[in-house]
Formats: sequence, C-alpha cells, structure tokens
Amino acid sequence: MAAPAPLGEEALIQSMKAGDDHSYQEAVRTFTPGMLAVARFYLDHSSAEEIVQDCWVTVIDAIHKFEGRSGLKTWLHRIVANRCKNRLRSSNREVPTDFSESLEPELAGRFNAKGRWDLPPKMQFHDSADKLMENGALSDCLDKHLSALPETQRSALMLYEAHQHKSDDVCNILDVSASNLRVLLHRARQKIFLMVETFQETGEC
Amino acid sequence: MLMCRDLAVVASDYIDGELAGLQNLSVKMHLMMCRDCRTFIGNLRASTELMKAHSSIRPDEEFMRRIDERVAEALKARKEDSGDG
Repeated sequence: MAAPAPLGEEALIQSMKAGDDHSYQEAVRTFTPGMLAVARFYLDHSSAEEIVQDCWVTVIDAIHKFEGRSGLKTWLHRIVANRCKNRLRSSNREVPTDFSESLEPELAGRFNAKGRWDLPPKMQFHDSADKLMENGALSDCLDKHLSALPETQRSALMLYEAHQHKSDDVCNILDVSASNLRVLLHRARQKIFLMVETFQETGEC
Repeated sequence: MLMCRDLAVVASDYIDGELAGLQNLSVKMHLMMCRDCRTFIGNLRASTELMKAHSSIRPDEEFMRRIDERVAEALKARKEDSGDG
C-alpha cells in the first residue's frame, strides 16, 4: 500500500493532538534529524539519542499546550535544547566551543603577509549544487567531512542550512550569540569549501 | 583598504547578506577588482548551496524504529488511561 500523503503542519498538529499513530510516525520522520542535530550540539551521541527519544514521549502530552506561536519544528527543537541544557547543568559541564578565529588555519595559510592571496582558489566550481551531488563519490566525501566537523559547527550548519532556521532561532536553540553563530557557520563552510576544492582538483576525498 | 584576507574573514556574512552598508560596499568594490576573491566567493557560495542540497545526516533506522515503538506504547497507555477515566 502506498504511504499516505504528508499532512500540512496544522493538520499534522491536530491529528497529533487526537493521538493518531500515523501522524506521530510522520512527525518522527520529519523532525527527528533536526532534533538530533540540536542534541548533538550539547551532548555525546548516546545521551543525545536518549534525550530525543524522551522528548518524543513528552510531546504526546505537551502537544496539547502547543499554541502555534512558533512553528512545530522550532517548538520541538527548543524542547530538546532545554532538556539538554538541564542535563548539562545537572552534570556541571559546558559545551566546548572555539570562537577565537574565524578563518580555518588551512585557509589562513594561503595569504601572504600583506593579506593578498598566496595560493588563490585555482578553479571555479562550475556545476550547480544539484549537479555536483549527482557525483556519488563527492556525496560520500561530503558525508565523511560533515561527520568529522566539530559537533557545534555541524549542528549550527544543519539547523541553518539543512533545516533552514532563521539566525535568531538557531541562536536561541543553541544558546550562542549572533556573532558566535557567524563564526561557527563560517568555519564549517570553509571546511566544506576546502573539501570540494581538493576533491575537484585531485578526485580524492 | 580591504585586503583579500579580510574579505575571506567576512565571506559568509557577505553571502548571507549580514554585512552592514559600508562594509558590504567595500567587499563589492574589492570583488570588482579581484578575480581570485570572486572565484573564492563563488566557490564558497557553491559549497553552501551544496550543504543545502545535501540531505542532513540521517539518524540510523534502528534509532528511528525505537522512537516509533516508544511513541506507540506511550500513545496506547494514554488511550487506555483516558478510557478508564
């Protein structure tokens, strides 16, 4: 049997409030990747998975209080963030972040003392993103590099790019200032830029 | 004067339209004169688009299945509770 068509957000919320199993399955598929990205900003892999699972159970009751002031995605991401912050507080730990430099060392080393390019980008990435993604090897390479990013950079990138949150929402969810978010995003993008450049020049990941 | 290295520092802010008027103008002027920086900005923008086009790291299926199970159990328990009440 074909899968049912996805519900619009308002219809989804109403059927979640009615306790419909299928709407929860749809919501879990849609929102769990982002919720996990939020949790991984704060916690290790297994604690993050645990928090996300617990959140879904909490949502069954909490959805009745959801008033729609923010979108469902933002609301869910905030629930996860609050739980993670509580967990960190109770264990007296902090998220390790490095906002000191906005240039990746590998890129910073490509300028001379006068601030001009010593080693400029050699070639232009001609293909569109969709075209580039058709290259399976590049897609695998991107997966590998995304996995290797520091958790904080990856979460910021995921929420901003893949889940298309506004900057204010990302700052709120991840509890970082606007300028620190800019550093996280820029560092992550430079790493992806350097990866694509190496891949296009050498064909190697 | 804005140097190539300065431009690289603010490149993401420029792409996202987050630069204030004067700084935005300096970047635009630099880009008009510097081909290397135009290539850099173009490639950084392409990398950003690539990120958007790439599906985010998917949680593994086993983890998703566990959530479905826990949610189904919790929904069932809730229905039973409200039925008893």
